Amino acid sequence: MIESIKKKVGVGVLGAAFQERKISVTVDPSAIRQVTCALLEHRPRFVITAAVDLGMDIELLYHFDVEGKLIVVRTKIAKEHNQIDTIVDLMPAAEWAEREAAELFGINFSAHPRPGHFVLPKDWPSDKPPLRESFKGVLPEQFCPVAESLVSTGMTAPMSPLMQRKREEAGLPHSPPASFANETSLSEVHEAMKGAEFDKKAGYDWKKGKLRRA
Amino acid sequence: MIGRKASSGVRDEMKYALFLGCMIPQRIPSVELAAKKVFEKLDIEAIELQGYSCCPDSVVARLLDRKMWLILAARNLSLAEKQGLDLLVLCNGCYETLVEAREILKHDPQIAKEIREILAKAGRKYEGKVKVRHVIEVLHEDVGVDKIKKFLKKPLKSRLAIHPGCHMFRETEGDDIWRKPKQFEEIVQATGADVVKNKLDRLCCGFPVMQVNEEFALKRNLLPKLVAYQEQGIEGVVVSCPACNVQFETGQVLLRKYGARFNIPCLHIVELLAIAFGFSAKELALDIHRSPVQQLAQKVI
Repeated sequence: MIESIKKKVGVGVLGAAFQERKISVTVDPSAIRQVTCALLEHRPRFVITAAVDLGMDIELLYHFDVEGKLIVVRTKIAKEHNQIDTIVDLMPAAEWAEREAAELFGINFSAHPRPGHFVLPKDWPSDKPPLRESFKGVLPEQFCPVAESLVSTGMTAPMSPLMQRKREEAGLPHSPPASFANETSLSEVHEAMKGAEFDKKAGYDWKKGKLRRA
Repeated sequence: MIGRKASSGVRDEMKYALFLGCMIPQRIPSVELAAKKVFEKLDIEAIELQGYSCCPDSVVARLLDRKMWLILAARNLSLAEKQGLDLLVLCNGCYETLVEAREILKHDPQIAKEIREILAKAGRKYEGKVKVRHVIEVLHEDVGVDKIKKFLKKPLKSRLAIHPGCHMFRETEGDDIWRKPKQFEEIVQATGADVVKNKLDRLCCGFPVMQVNEEFALKRNLLPKLVAYQEQGIEGVVVSCPACNVQFETGQVLLRKYGARFNIPCLHIVELLAIAFGFSAKELALDIHRSPVQQLAQKVI
């Protein structure tokens, strides 16, 4: 079953773990509808969608039952994007579960057919989902600037223009021959950060070149 | 690894890969400048390590992620190894990180294999051949105090305190932790300065603590040391670590908000030697310092 899903979805399937009566499939959030479509061929019964606040991301665990075996499709959505496609049109039983997760965690299930109030008291403010915590990385806040600089430049702090000027006035090159001054070296440092998975731990956004923020 | 041990007990060839680290080039480049001038005088060939990263620092970066800390340290070691040179460092923190990383990679085959595999993806390899030398060791063991004395313009007339810094006491298990601090003291004494001992010499300057509790670091670490120096009539503090140097200088500025006013110069050992060798405050760009190091330089010569 997993092989057939992988074949249909391709790179959207990030990994799979097998237990006696349970299979966990980790997928990219953009592939959730494709995965659901692929699963439909195996006639699944929808069980529940659970949401977990991980600090920087919200993990969604879509539980299905296929012939007595539990299939858990896991995906993470970044809190700053906070959006995932609905599967309600493919799997109508997911309607209440998505509405519940939307209300309690503030997730936007795009194209959900009937969004809105579900379990909270009617006067509950819509911008305060009760189970959603504020954006919080693994690293202590005061060390985030150091972590960001380490990943992006390989140094504990970026070189300031003032210090570059002072160096030149002192007769020194404006920058030392460090990793940030050389593209090849910087690329090696970036690979080292990925190799250690420190970029993930720190929540580094390679496209923006900085740590993720709320 | 390189150089030969001459019969006199000092090396007759001194060539190293110079590891500048983050703090010196980015916060107190006058130390970099002084090091170059002193090394040239003492026939030390220090070739700047190209493409290095932060060591990374032995307290914060290590606590953030040990694997990341070890990979970057191993990469730095591999850069020097490729050049076939031992590493010469000007910072206690860099020294600790690079020495400890070297020891871990030597004694933990499992983690060493993992780190080597990651380095190999970047085309780097590390075989454990490179040695890490603190500038204090190089000045004392390879150059020798007698040679240093030959270059003195005239003896420095000043009462100086030495702050060895916590990481200078790191040694391989079983070795004398006072080896490098004693060498440090002898080098400062060689300049003619009067080294004034203090019961708080081993107290941390508070630099790493600043990251989590600035007030505690300033009041419980730095302040007692400054008070003791003032009571002893100390004219300057000599350090072997740029982080300690930054802490002594910015710390004195920050302590003003708690009503404590000090104006004690703090400088790195290579700057003290450069001053003793006759270089002027202007040649050494001592105005970069945030403590009155220029006045000290003018006074002692």
